[in-house]
Amino acid sequence: MTTYPATGTWRRYFSWNTDHKVIGVQYIVTSFVFFILAGMLAMLMRAQLRAPGSELLNAETYNQVMTNHGSLMIFLWILPVVAGFGNYLIPLMIGARDMAFPRLNALSYWLIPPAGLIMLASFFVGGAEAGWTAYVPLSIGGPPGQTLWAVSIMILGISAIMGAINFVTTVLTMRAPGMTFGRLPLFVWGMMATSLLVLSATPVLTAGLVLIALDRVVGTQFFTVASGGDPILWQNLFWFYSHPAVYIMILPAMGIVSEIFPVFARKPIFGYRMIALSSMAIAVLGLTVWAHHMFASGMDPRLRVPYMVSSMVIAVPTGIKIFSWLATIWYGKLRLSTPMLFALGFISMFLIGGLTGIFLAAIPVDLHVTDTYFVVAHLHFVLFGGSVSAVYAGLYYWFPKITGRMYDERTGRVHFVANFVGTNLAYLPMFAAGLMGMPRRVADYDPSFTSYNQMATLGGLILALSTLPFLYNVILSWARGPKAAANPWSALTLEWQTSSPPPTENFAEIPVVTTDPYAYGEESTMTGEPAAAPAAG
Amino acid sequence: MQAPSAHPARRWPLYLGVFLILILLTVIEIMVAGSGLTPPTLGIILLALSFSKAGLVAAFYMHLRDDHRLYTAIFVLPVLLLMVFAVLSVLI
Amino acid sequence: MSQQAVAHAENYRAGQALGVDHRKVGMWLFIASEVMFFGGLIATYLHYKYTLGFPEASRLDIVAVGVNTTILLTSSLAVVMGLSSIRAGKAGRMSVFLLLTILLGLTFLTGQVLEFSHLYGEGVTLTGSVFGSSFFTLTGFHGLHVLAGVVWALIVLVLGLRRAFSAERNMGVEVFGLYWHFVDIVWIMLFTLIYLIP
Repeated sequence: MTTYPATGTWRRYFSWNTDHKVIGVQYIVTSFVFFILAGMLAMLMRAQLRAPGSELLNAETYNQVMTNHGSLMIFLWILPVVAGFGNYLIPLMIGARDMAFPRLNALSYWLIPPAGLIMLASFFVGGAEAGWTAYVPLSIGGPPGQTLWAVSIMILGISAIMGAINFVTTVLTMRAPGMTFGRLPLFVWGMMATSLLVLSATPVLTAGLVLIALDRVVGTQFFTVASGGDPILWQNLFWFYSHPAVYIMILPAMGIVSEIFPVFARKPIFGYRMIALSSMAIAVLGLTVWAHHMFASGMDPRLRVPYMVSSMVIAVPTGIKIFSWLATIWYGKLRLSTPMLFALGFISMFLIGGLTGIFLAAIPVDLHVTDTYFVVAHLHFVLFGGSVSAVYAGLYYWFPKITGRMYDERTGRVHFVANFVGTNLAYLPMFAAGLMGMPRRVADYDPSFTSYNQMATLGGLILALSTLPFLYNVILSWARGPKAAANPWSALTLEWQTSSPPPTENFAEIPVVTTDPYAYGEESTMTGEPAAAPAAG
Repeated sequence: MQAPSAHPARRWPLYLGVFLILILLTVIEIMVAGSGLTPPTLGIILLALSFSKAGLVAAFYMHLRDDHRLYTAIFVLPVLLLMVFAVLSVLI
Repeated sequence: MSQQAVAHAENYRAGQALGVDHRKVGMWLFIASEVMFFGGLIATYLHYKYTLGFPEASRLDIVAVGVNTTILLTSSLAVVMGLSSIRAGKAGRMSVFLLLTILLGLTFLTGQVLEFSHLYGEGVTLTGSVFGSSFFTLTGFHGLHVLAGVVWALIVLVLGLRRAFSAERNMGVEVFGLYWHFVDIVWIMLFTLIYLIP
């Protein structure tokens, strides 16, 4: 395998560049910065909540911190970071030289820093304080920062839609010869399902945000209760996007672990077709269940049971995936490298989150625990224990490909252990607190919840500290780590069949694909024939 | 090099014909709206008329009828989703 | 990127996989997202129409707007005739049809402005009521899309005059056409949902 010189300097990451690999890194690094910021806001919250009667933050400030913690995490960390993975990997995985629309791609990245700055700026003009859900009429009357919050998310939505158009077009029209849909890596399937959701759900949120902005800035009456405005309408518009949004946040993560398990178990993936179909099923079903966030809102009672049933049905394709992953690693020859550790952690923690999601889908349970810490625990298990674990798994797994250097394995393991302990210590007690009745979004609480909160604060502290070995590892390894081979994991997908990092044009010659991407231990692989042969001429 | 056009040169009679039908349907719509019909029959007929107009534009002016079915799917599926959402927004 | 890399990219990007053009796929996907954006605004309008009621809607002038609707339909004819012209190699004819499209689009917008001023004169305003907010926002965003379409048509016209298109190379015109027809379809539905159905 010929090696290529590193293309360009570090400066290209700070400039307009249409190479999807540069854009992918821009997305990932930028979102990680917001992850740190949002994490600091979480630390403020946990510091305030470490004891009842704490006066670190008053109620109003707490609400602003809480709102921005959630909004930054969702809109400026998880959503863009999975788009970043998609950007970096999709062309490589399908054997293409770039995305279908490279300039649109660069534009969709460059909308993010200004949008992020606008959201941060909202803090300084009287911050948004209505929660990331911005229910009306509270969000109509609130401080000026709420308008900036709305504008920021509108811009991020447009960026996401542009990205989705690019991803889908690229996968439909730019697959290398032999890359049939049946040979598409599961991460790509996950991104296709995700993009379907981005395209169909995000514009509805944009419409709703337009209404809020118009009410606030121009004085329209959309949500003015006295004129007949209906708060439930906002909830509909908001949740029609925000429920699929959680699948936008998890489907790429599931795609990442689907890539990792076969490689680190040295076994073909179990149930490739079912995993791919389940991704699409989760996406389609996910578009229909949004009102399960509104069981306690006064929605039409006749519609509650249908939404409950459809919400529970989503557990079926999800369960299929989990069992497929387990079957993949069953009797496999496991290598417990850091990516695999995080992927295994993903399964256990996402399972807790997912199961508690089914509890919440049951209307009688939901009516009891709505707006309590039970929900906070559920969402953090799926989003932190789930998505973030998978993101870390992916960062370690593709680190050598992206940077051309190998990270330090021992430091990676330290990060994993601290992350796993911290996550469980931070969020498990919240289930109990919620069941005992502790409301969410409160700056203070009844002393009976103290022990749960102290454990959660300690867990949060461990999580914050756990980021340090990660940053240390990533920064030092990127600068001075040992050079990585083209395929340090002996993986079969196409991104590993080119150098680390890949040349600008990705492949010297477009590969011709002849086998499945997970044919580990199978005849052709054992004879040493490559899964992809360079195209002639 | 884009795929060669699948269309014969003389399509304008078809386009003109579709146009005349569109105008006719619009006139019928206005007449129906002004007639004595009541909901829900009125609404159903009017929706049927407008969906026909939209369908004609999509099939013949946007060439969905001649092109790969993928484009039709990309257009029709969100339309169905929109209808589900619009109906449920009124009900919830 | 090297010349060879560009050549490779063009080769298989030309839709070998499914036989579809990436610009057309991109535009249809964009249209899908626009369907959902208008969907949010339409859902808002219908929600209030059927839960609150819109007595002010009686002030809407169906016949006048019906005429305006016809103008927009004619513009769609002009657009598709323009595409048909360039596909037959007739760039000059295409320019005429594009000019017609622009004029018809501007006429439609003028009609909208007239209707809006008429309603304002009757006391129906954007901020005055839920009806006003819903009506003007929905039709206003449609109007903005028409305006964007007029600007795009102008660009296509100028490019056409500079011989950018031919019988073999006219995807730019087709993609513009898809956008324009979509905006027309939105109006077809809005006309029925806002003006015709009680």
